[in-house]
Amino acid sequence: MSDTLLQIVIYTVIWGSIYLLIALGFSLICGVLRIFHLGYGVVFVLAAYLTWAFMEEAHLGLVPSILLMIVVQCAFALIVFYKGVFQRYMEEEEILLTVSILVFLAVAHLANYLFPVTAGVSIPSTIIDDVVTIGGVTIAWQMIIAALAGILVTTAYVVWFMKTRIGLIVRAISQNLPAALLMGANVNRMYYLAMILSVIPPTICLVVIAPFWGIDPFMGAPLLMTAMLISILGGLGNLKGSIVASYLIGFIHASVSFIFVPRFMGFAALIVTLIVMIYRRGGIFAGETLW
Amino acid sequence: MKKMRLFAGTILVFFLLVTGAGAAGPDTAGPIKIGLMGNMSAPFSLSAKGAATMAVDEINKAGGIQGRPVKLIVEDTKGEIPKCVEIYKKLVMNDRVLAVFIAEKVEMGVAGMEIGAELFPEYPHVFFCTIGSGDDIWHRVRDNYKKYRFGFQTYYAISTNYLKILAPDNIDCFKNQIKAKKVAIVYEDMEWTKPLRKGIPGVSDSLPGIYRAKGLNVVYETTTSLDQKMFNPIFEAIAKSGADLIDCVVGYIDQPAFIKQWSQSSARNIPVFIWGGLAGMPPAWKMTEGKVTGVMVGSSLVRVPITPKTIPFMDNLVKNYKVGPIFGSHTTYDTLYGFKKAIEKAGTTGNIDQLIKQLEQVEEVAVLGSIGWHPQYHYNLPPPKYITPIVQWQNGEMKVIYPLKYKMADYKSPQELRK
Repeated sequence: MSDTLLQIVIYTVIWGSIYLLIALGFSLICGVLRIFHLGYGVVFVLAAYLTWAFMEEAHLGLVPSILLMIVVQCAFALIVFYKGVFQRYMEEEEILLTVSILVFLAVAHLANYLFPVTAGVSIPSTIIDDVVTIGGVTIAWQMIIAALAGILVTTAYVVWFMKTRIGLIVRAISQNLPAALLMGANVNRMYYLAMILSVIPPTICLVVIAPFWGIDPFMGAPLLMTAMLISILGGLGNLKGSIVASYLIGFIHASVSFIFVPRFMGFAALIVTLIVMIYRRGGIFAGETLW
Repeated sequence: MKKMRLFAGTILVFFLLVTGAGAAGPDTAGPIKIGLMGNMSAPFSLSAKGAATMAVDEINKAGGIQGRPVKLIVEDTKGEIPKCVEIYKKLVMNDRVLAVFIAEKVEMGVAGMEIGAELFPEYPHVFFCTIGSGDDIWHRVRDNYKKYRFGFQTYYAISTNYLKILAPDNIDCFKNQIKAKKVAIVYEDMEWTKPLRKGIPGVSDSLPGIYRAKGLNVVYETTTSLDQKMFNPIFEAIAKSGADLIDCVVGYIDQPAFIKQWSQSSARNIPVFIWGGLAGMPPAWKMTEGKVTGVMVGSSLVRVPITPKTIPFMDNLVKNYKVGPIFGSHTTYDTLYGFKKAIEKAGTTGNIDQLIKQLEQVEEVAVLGSIGWHPQYHYNLPPPKYITPIVQWQNGEMKVIYPLKYKMADYKSPQELRK
């Protein structure tokens, strides 16, 4: 039993931190732009396939490929999503949602067309190819690295939002847009910033989880679902809620997997979210604010 | 007056369509038309398309079938069942094809077979499901031969064969090659694994039952869902169970994630055997960054000359048709040759029942053995007629370890191979 408890504790931390990395960008968009970003899954697809394309087609090394991919990711988020979709359809929510998901699907299909499964797409981003045993539980070092990346990125984001002037402006916009405008906040610039900030965590996430995750053109959909689940459970757009929800989902997944059967972990998380939503309609940290 | 003529014309056309007066038997002159449909975004359908095109090119180059050229009409279902039904109708009613090939998952095959059964009395044709596995196609033929006799399944992967032919083969390989005594079984949550989990009443025991009866101790069983991404808890439990082999009855789960996580888990030194799927394709090495080392898998993509056709098929497909030979390409290619031989034996395409009778008796040298169909149930001949070797990933290459007839290397433990 003590082994099972240790497994649950370790995997709650590891999976919770990875889920946090998956959901952080989605939550940020929800909090700042007040948009339910159904095209968010495209970030994972672009991260994988652009890195692969730069490595295979342009014969660049892994690090230059990742850096170049981040530049393209940011440009895509700003030009295609922000300028092309969000700004244009901000007042027509149903069109905004539809177009966002269409862009996502189009990119996934393009990736599938250009690099089908037979292309053997992978990101060789393993940092430590070994395992470590903690009290009888064996864990891949790469999973620990991914969890650490999740904790570090989230800490950096929270500190930045709490301690910097720009962070304060972003929070002000998330709390009360008209008031922030009256106070002279450059909302457009902050939206640009939020778009860029939203692609960084999922991009890092993909790079660090690639050594133990399957990469395929349609991988964005389940990751988008995870991000949505966490954001809804935590309270849409609330980073504090996303942190709590990530570890809660991690705990549910770990408990169900190690005590019962792994195949019900997703189902159990959905049931818990549903129950929370019944009793707390806005999620755990319901509120119109980023923090 | 003009309106009256138009109205009368419309009524006439409608009447002809409804009564099927426009329909007739298959063409006996001109090109032999074959319709092939699949999800042309999916690698298996694309590979099947390449293989079909190759077979048709070869047949035409050699003078066609009974002097008649073969014309292949390719259609994209986009993986949608309604589209599959529409295309099927178009191929049979407008293009007047003699045969429809569905090179896609079995759900499409079932949809095609149902619409085909409705059309068959007025538009006689034959139907081949060249990728879909399971029991849905052949059970229809078994249960209502008259209605579904036009349908053939070119995939031996059916429950009875899994349990009666493949399971004993696995036991032989596990016990004599791998020296395993305790087995952990991981199933995927799909219809095709259900008879293996539960057995078939009156026909066969379940897979664990068969293993136990033959002296293999099944120490752990679990089922994983198709959307599962985290497999660590399964590997932790298997490591604890003391199993010395992981038998993965899977084909559609996220195999790269499964393999990557296995290679970094407590169970990393326990050999893994996967029944089929991505792990048996050459890109698996790249996709897993070599973590597939030591994994055994049923694969038809290994370069071993099972027949004189095997290696030329693989080389020609890659070189001239720019697709890799993945599952479904062999069966599609072989089906075309089996079909050709049946037409030649029937002597005509005008009598569809004569052609069906020949398809039930035909046997032709194929890429992976011999192609032919069960005379009553219409699934293609199982091993040892049509073979899927068990390979092991060793130093970046798939090496056949079983059947012994085609053995390329001895089995090695994952630990040894990782050194």
